[in-house]
Formats: sequence, C-alpha cells, structure tokens
Amino acid sequence: MAVCTVYTIPTTTHLGSSFNQNNKQVFFNYKRSSSSNNTLFTTRPSYVITCSQQQTIVIGLAADSGCGKSTFMRRLTSVFGGAAEPPKGGNPDSNTLISDTTTVICLDDFHSLDRNGRKVEKVTALDPKANDFDLMYEQVKALKEGKAVDKPIYNHVSGLLDPPELIQPPKILVIEGLHPMYDARVRELLDFSIYLDISNEVKFAWKIQRDMKERGHSLESIKASIESRKPDFDAYIDPQKQHADVVIEVLPTELIPDDDEGKVLRVRMIQKEGVKFFNPVYLFDEGSTISWIPCGRKLTCSYPGIKFSYGPDTFYGNEVTVVEMDGMFDRLDELIYVESHLSNLSTKFYGEVTQQMLKHQNFPGSNNGTGFFQTIIGLKIRDLFEQLVASRSTATATAAKA
Amino acid sequence: GLVAVRAAPDNRISENVEKSIKEAQETCSDDPVSGECVAAWDVVEELSAAASHARDKAKDVEPLEEYCKDNPETDECRTYDN
Repeated sequence: MAVCTVYTIPTTTHLGSSFNQNNKQVFFNYKRSSSSNNTLFTTRPSYVITCSQQQTIVIGLAADSGCGKSTFMRRLTSVFGGAAEPPKGGNPDSNTLISDTTTVICLDDFHSLDRNGRKVEKVTALDPKANDFDLMYEQVKALKEGKAVDKPIYNHVSGLLDPPELIQPPKILVIEGLHPMYDARVRELLDFSIYLDISNEVKFAWKIQRDMKERGHSLESIKASIESRKPDFDAYIDPQKQHADVVIEVLPTELIPDDDEGKVLRVRMIQKEGVKFFNPVYLFDEGSTISWIPCGRKLTCSYPGIKFSYGPDTFYGNEVTVVEMDGMFDRLDELIYVESHLSNLSTKFYGEVTQQMLKHQNFPGSNNGTGFFQTIIGLKIRDLFEQLVASRSTATATAAKA
Repeated sequence: GLVAVRAAPDNRISENVEKSIKEAQETCSDDPVSGECVAAWDVVEELSAAASHARDKAKDVEPLEEYCKDNPETDECRTYDN
C-alpha cells in the first residue's frame, strides 16, 4: 500500500536535471509557459510527491511446537478482522497464513537441513545449525522494506524442503517459530516480540492430551520426547525470552493443591516497561502491588474460583509489569466484570476483549488466562501498529518538508 | 470415495508417527543421550505436531458449510443480507 503526499516546494531547478527519480521520491517539475523561452534557467514551483511504500510492521512470536502458537495466531488475526487462510492455489502443505492485513510465516521454512539432513548431522530442529539465519534475515528485511520474496517451504509431512512460494509484503508480518529472537540481526527487525513460555508440567499435560490418541504413543514415549529435546530447548530456545517485549508464562494452578491435569492454569503476562508505543496493562492502580479475588457478593464463582495478581517486578534485569490470572472462567459475566477493572487494554469500545473471546469460544484456552491474555496482546499489537503507522507518516512528512 | 480421500493424509502422518517412535526407541536403546537419539525424538515431536494439526483441520470441517461453498444457490445454502 502506497501512501502519497504532495508538497509544493518553490525551487529553482536546472532544466537538464528536470527529472529526478529514485526509489522513494519522484519529482515532477512543472514548466511554466515563460516568455523567456530560450533561457535554460527558469523559476517554477516543483511538486514533490513522496510515495513511501508503507513499511511492514514485523512481529515475532517464539514458542516450542505444540504450545499453542497457532491458537494465538488465530486470535491475533481475528482482532484485525477477516479469516487467515493458506495461500490460494499453492503448495497444500504451505505453512503460511494470509489475511487482509496480516501474513504469518512459519520459521521452520528457514531450516537449512531437512529431516534426513538433521538425522545425518545428529542435530534437532532446535539447533541453530539446522537453520539458515542469513536467509531468514535477508527475507524478513526485504519484506519489511516492501519487497516480495521467494520463501522456501519446509514440508512438515514429508520432512523435505519444497520449492519456494512468493510472499508479498503485508501490513503486518508475523514470524512464528522456534527462533524469531535468536539471531541479533533478525531481532533488530522486530517491532514487537512475544515469547510463549509453557512450564514443563503444563507442557507434559498438554502433550498427553495431544498425543495419547495417536497410535504408538505412550506416556513413556511422550516423556522421552520432551526429556531428550530439553537440553537443546534450554540452550537455544528458552534464552530468547529475555529479549521479548511480552512473555506469557503458563504454570500449574496454585488454587488446587497438586493439580496435574493442566486444565486449570496460572497464566502470567510479563510486560516490559519502556517499549515505544506499548503501554502495559494494569489492574486498578498503576504501579501498585495488588491481589484480587473477584468472587464475592457481585460475582459467584465455582470451584476453584479466580485470582488475579498485579505488580511491578524485574525480569532478566528489565523493569516489567506482571498481570497474573489463576483459575477458570465459568460464565461471560465474569469476563466482562474482570475486563472493566483492567486499564490500558487498547480496546476501541467497552467490552471488546469479552466480545473477541466470545467469538472464539471453541478455541483452546478460552476459559482461562491463556486466551484472555492472548486476546489482550492482540489488541495491544493493533494499537502499536496504528501508532507506528501514524508516527511514520508524520516522519515522512517532516522529512519531505525539510 | 470422498471420505477416504480426506482421511488419507491423516493416516499417512499417523503411520509415520508410529514408525518414528519405534525408530527412536531402537536408536536410544544403546545410548539415551546420543545425538542420534535426540534427533530421533525430535522427529517424533515434529510428526506428532503435524498429526495434531491435521486432526484439528479435519475437525473444523462443517459438512453443510463445505457443501455451501460449492453450491451457494441451493435452498439450504441461500442467505440474503436483507
């Protein structure tokens, strides 16, 4: 999408250089009918039309496989409206999702080694050696600058690298996968970053739910798979959370003693302070430390109830604000009651968070903090996007006037 | 006919998951922390995730919605905004 602004700047220009063209600016020089036709120098107003290709906003989402990245993505694209679908008519195993505003690309597509290659080299997909960060950087940079790229496709079914697909620069580019914040060059390109941090207990419970119906899987095989990948996960994936603007931590509940079902969750949204265009969400009073149980005379909750906590903290040496929710929603009125006590939600109308959650009642996590905080982050990203676009068009205008 | 076609890719992944688990268990019987072993379990994770995505996709299919995509003019599919 091109945003064009026209400025009239009176200048004296030599006729010989009357047409000046570069990537970003086109100068149209008007030649006024002048009585002094034989002179090479004329004074005339020149119209500067700046057609800056509207820059793409890049968002990074890091999480392990099977940790709900795709649910998060569906919630995020829904905030911007329209459904996200795979590219039409392309590879049926493409990992890309495209909607009107947003394109989501899966970073597995930048594997440098396919499934067999990793077997030969004895490395996992978590290992940086299995990934081509040079290509990742080049293509994300190109998309950010508004250039289309031919991105490879890693086929999760066959385990092979398929022929590339053409990706057009979107308004919002989301790169999701294991390593969006691993390479410093790629990290620099991100306008916002999120890390989904699932604790080991919850990961185990979720993978049991996911895999037990699969033939061949047993408790032992699920456990073995998690355990054997853990050293690589701790070495290469987990450290990325220190760079994230928001970390969503998913932990076992503290409301039920020794709960191992993974259905009731304690979810913490850790928001970095001082990030441009991102104002952390707070509960009641900004900067205080608060513990809040919304159940009481105004609200009936079933067992185990809901508990909120809010307060400042430090995370990897950074100032952060943490909003925590433990427990489960039973009914809609609980959600709107909670929403009305949170501030800085970046909603456009009262009840927007609740409405978004209701739209996707069947998504995993809709009755606990995972869905609630993911929806809120979706709204924060929309806000960030709008502010960034506004600030860039102001910057372009100022630059053109100068 | 139609059902078999839809179920085919899912079954293919399911078989691969089963095979990959057997392979991982065999590879790891000698040395449970070797590079081969870790890589083998990583393949299991990748295939399990792919299988679960395929299952979710198949679950999302509403028979009437699918039919109406191809036959929007039929009685059961026609909708008017006003």
